[in-house]
Amino acid sequence: MTGPGPFFLDEIFFVVMPYLAFIIFLLVSIRRYLTQSFTFSSLSSQFLENRQHFWGLVPFHYGIIAIVTGHIIGFLIPREVLAWNSQPLRLYVLEVSAFVFGLLTLVGLVSVIVRRFTVSKIRMVTSTADWILFGIFVVQILSGLYVAAFHGWGSSWFAAVATPYLWSLLTLSPDIAYVTAMPWMVKLHIVCAYVMIAFFPFTRLVHALVVPNPYLWRKTQVVRWYGIRRFASGRPGADRKM
Amino acid sequence: MNGHHREKAMRSHSNIRTALLLAWALLLVPRTALGQEAAAYFKQNCSSCHTIGGGRLTGPDLKDVEKRKDRTWLTRFIVDPRAMLDAGDQYALDLQRDARGAVMPALPGMTRQRAESLLDLIGTESKLEKSQFIGVRISDRPFTQRDVDLGRDLFLGTVALKNGGPSCLSCHGAHGIAGLGGGTLAPDLTTVFERYGGRKTLAVWLSAPATPTMQSVFNKKPIEPEEILGLVAYFQNTLQRSPEDASTARLNFVLLGLGGTLLVLGLFDVIWNKRFRAVRRPLVESKKLENVHE
Repeated sequence: MTGPGPFFLDEIFFVVMPYLAFIIFLLVSIRRYLTQSFTFSSLSSQFLENRQHFWGLVPFHYGIIAIVTGHIIGFLIPREVLAWNSQPLRLYVLEVSAFVFGLLTLVGLVSVIVRRFTVSKIRMVTSTADWILFGIFVVQILSGLYVAAFHGWGSSWFAAVATPYLWSLLTLSPDIAYVTAMPWMVKLHIVCAYVMIAFFPFTRLVHALVVPNPYLWRKTQVVRWYGIRRFASGRPGADRKM
Repeated sequence: MNGHHREKAMRSHSNIRTALLLAWALLLVPRTALGQEAAAYFKQNCSSCHTIGGGRLTGPDLKDVEKRKDRTWLTRFIVDPRAMLDAGDQYALDLQRDARGAVMPALPGMTRQRAESLLDLIGTESKLEKSQFIGVRISDRPFTQRDVDLGRDLFLGTVALKNGGPSCLSCHGAHGIAGLGGGTLAPDLTTVFERYGGRKTLAVWLSAPATPTMQSVFNKKPIEPEEILGLVAYFQNTLQRSPEDASTARLNFVLLGLGGTLLVLGLFDVIWNKRFRAVRRPLVESKKLENVHE
């Protein structure tokens, strides 16, 4: 039997951190939207450069959207998820699919990180926040894949254990008994999620809050970054669009 | 006058009686509340391993425990069983031997005060002819094939637990599960029947699971007695087999995942085959080709 960890550490990780992360997320997102509206996006990564970038942004986005949606579904309708998993074959299909989407996210992430390292134009427009964000993503996706592969079946036990824990947070009556005896990789995945939520509004991730619908119909444009020094000195508007 | 006196005396008498009643009630309320709290705590944390007058489970029957060992020792042991064992206390070591090596876990929120109130509860319950903690009565009838089948279905989840608990497969594996096997979050249950000391102890344990994660889930969604019977029958049945080697199932899972990923990446390439790749490069390359042809 895995014994519960030190009392105060669990309290900090699973009660204090989620509330803190959520408050930071909310306040900073709103403040940034009101005071720095033009930064409320993801700076161009020249995503119409498709030879290399295609293998980054396409797998990453399809992967991450499916994975996040899966977690939300497990949180919102746990009983239906358990009902779906009541036939082992259906459970296996769901688990393998989720794992595939996780791996797609990883492939995409590795690809964009490599591109940011190797393409000088892109490396110049990569901020410290971006690098930290990549680090958090690496930990989060690797721990998620590890949990999926070696602490199965996550889709079922998420519905049975993580969902009531998260609801207990939401209803302001935190009950951490659900998570205190979990393997440390699961705990890492949860804590890293809180770190990511807290860090979210300081990064390019805010673009997820304002889906750029016009991208679907506007004409393509190539963005070239000039005056990198001016950009670095805090004037991201120094780009010229062609 | 006389009547007035009597009336006054009566009134003051009734006042005193009310006051006494109130005082008694005030004294009683916290005691009852404490007693109720201790009972709820015992049910949740102790009853999966101990009965009061119902015989030994994983841990000893606690009826009249204070006749066997003094309260000071008992309190110390309840608060931190591991420390007593580590200190080499002979009585604690004997208890561990009797429990076939099982160590009493440190309990959530345990304090000296709570241990005292639990000992009070055990004392009171010991005096009763039939304690409420005599243990869950699961039928003693011999298992049938139907019990085993029901247990297997409950394990796999094809038959849902009545109170909405997740199936065992969500977190556990066991012998003979086809496909990608059972969950790997928690231990394989093939030999749990033996590990938990047979039919009675396993059944009682399942009625109030004591490990932290199981407790948090099944405390609110208890497993029904007939379901427990089926599960115990199933686990007795798997006892003859050896635990499944989970690594093959894990490897298959990872390989399926990798295969699926390659497939989807290929699909992306096909779907977006006509994607915009570059402007200059194709021009240069076509020019080169033209030059070659010339």
